[in-house]
Amino acid sequence: MTSLLDALPSTARAWVLSVAPDDRIALLGAFSGAARNVGKDPCAVPERGTWGADELARAALLVRGAASVSPEELYDRGDNRERQAVLRALPLLEAPERFLPLAVEACRTNVLTIFEAIACENPYPQRHFPEPNWNQMVLKVAFNGLALARIVGLAARSNDELARMASDFAAERRAAGRPVPADLGSVMKGETT
Amino acid sequence: MKLFDPHIHMTSRTTDDYEAMAKAGIRAIIEPAFWLGQPRTKVGTFEDYFQALVGWERFRASQFGITHFCTIGLNPKEANNPNVAPGVLELMPHYLGKDGVVAVGEIGFDDQTPAEEKYFAAQLELANKFDLPVLVHTPHRDKKRGTERSLALVKEQRFPEERVVIDHNNEETLPLVLATGCWAGHSIYPNTKMDEPRMAALVKKYGTTRMIVNSAADWGVSDPLKVPKTAQAMKDVGVSDADIETIVWNNPIAFFGQTGRIAAADLGEAAKIDQAQLFEGNSVLRGQTPVRT
Repeated sequence: MTSLLDALPSTARAWVLSVAPDDRIALLGAFSGAARNVGKDPCAVPERGTWGADELARAALLVRGAASVSPEELYDRGDNRERQAVLRALPLLEAPERFLPLAVEACRTNVLTIFEAIACENPYPQRHFPEPNWNQMVLKVAFNGLALARIVGLAARSNDELARMASDFAAERRAAGRPVPADLGSVMKGETT
Repeated sequence: MKLFDPHIHMTSRTTDDYEAMAKAGIRAIIEPAFWLGQPRTKVGTFEDYFQALVGWERFRASQFGITHFCTIGLNPKEANNPNVAPGVLELMPHYLGKDGVVAVGEIGFDDQTPAEEKYFAAQLELANKFDLPVLVHTPHRDKKRGTERSLALVKEQRFPEERVVIDHNNEETLPLVLATGCWAGHSIYPNTKMDEPRMAALVKKYGTTRMIVNSAADWGVSDPLKVPKTAQAMKDVGVSDADIETIVWNNPIAFFGQTGRIAAADLGEAAKIDQAQLFEGNSVLRGQTPVRT
């Protein structure tokens, strides 16, 4: 949490801190209106990639106000950027395993930026996803042409079923005469691209 | 020339349309919430629709380099349905604060019933609370009277006229609108409402102040390229490039940008996201294939 606030420019940090964490209505309004108060400039978040200032502020608002608002309601009624912020904040919330259904559902999105927010530079899936969901997520990262290196804990959670799925995916692409992502080899045991 | 279509229902259109629009120079669009061609039976389907407008459709547009904004509202036709109208009004505050939402709309009159008037007035109040402009639909039938009633209601409610655009104008309603402080929208349609040569003639006669054109393309017979086609029609009859730019770019930004949710920087955002994806795409040699999952 401290690192989230530290990553924000000082005026934006002051704005986040000005929102009372126990005032539900103020939180909901600030969450929606964050971009109009702090902008969307890219901010580097240590070990978590680059977020927009609005995403960072929203994630901080959620972490601070977690007793007053739920990530589920903010996600369900959120626009794309609000949803991204919720997903990025998940590993920072207390007892994060509670939000597994939300995180898994988010992986089913067609909006690439939302998918990236849960799948890339986010330790949540590594820590909490059951193997079938983890494997589907990794394959979807490859399928969407995103770099597999952006997944946190890829090597630590390698498994035989994932290796098979990755190999089958590579075979499918070759059969279709389409290129195989160059970084897929890392998850395909015993096969190189 | 950069073009802005401030009224188009993209959830009803195809990716071919998005491609053609981008190629024709359309950089930004506004998708007003309206009805779906058949009446909705539940409030929940409105909520899913609102979510698509601030979520999926916004992303879909960005894939073609087009920045998507929307308006949120209870349309006049469904204001007559007591099973959904009160619930939709309750939902609206959850959405009106969002970045991509630039107005309350479409509101206004259809059959000109008391229920329509009630929800028109209630939504003017909501717009006031959220500091948003309003997009007012005018009826197909008894249009002139409907327009007069809309203008009268705006005045009666003391809603700031510079934050009102009265849409779907024709030769008879335009002078009524321009006599107030409201803005005037024109929907250029293949057969009804307004066409390109008539629009060009109106611009020659009335000038560019508070004049806006749109395609209002939807699930019916309509054309998502009517804004570029109207720009060409204006050029053909000698309207200057500067005046055309005022109507097809500057005016919609000036009107819908009144509350600071449309920044010039935002209009480049979709293009930037697209480039990032092409960059990622190129890294695995997928070229320009749009991402599909």
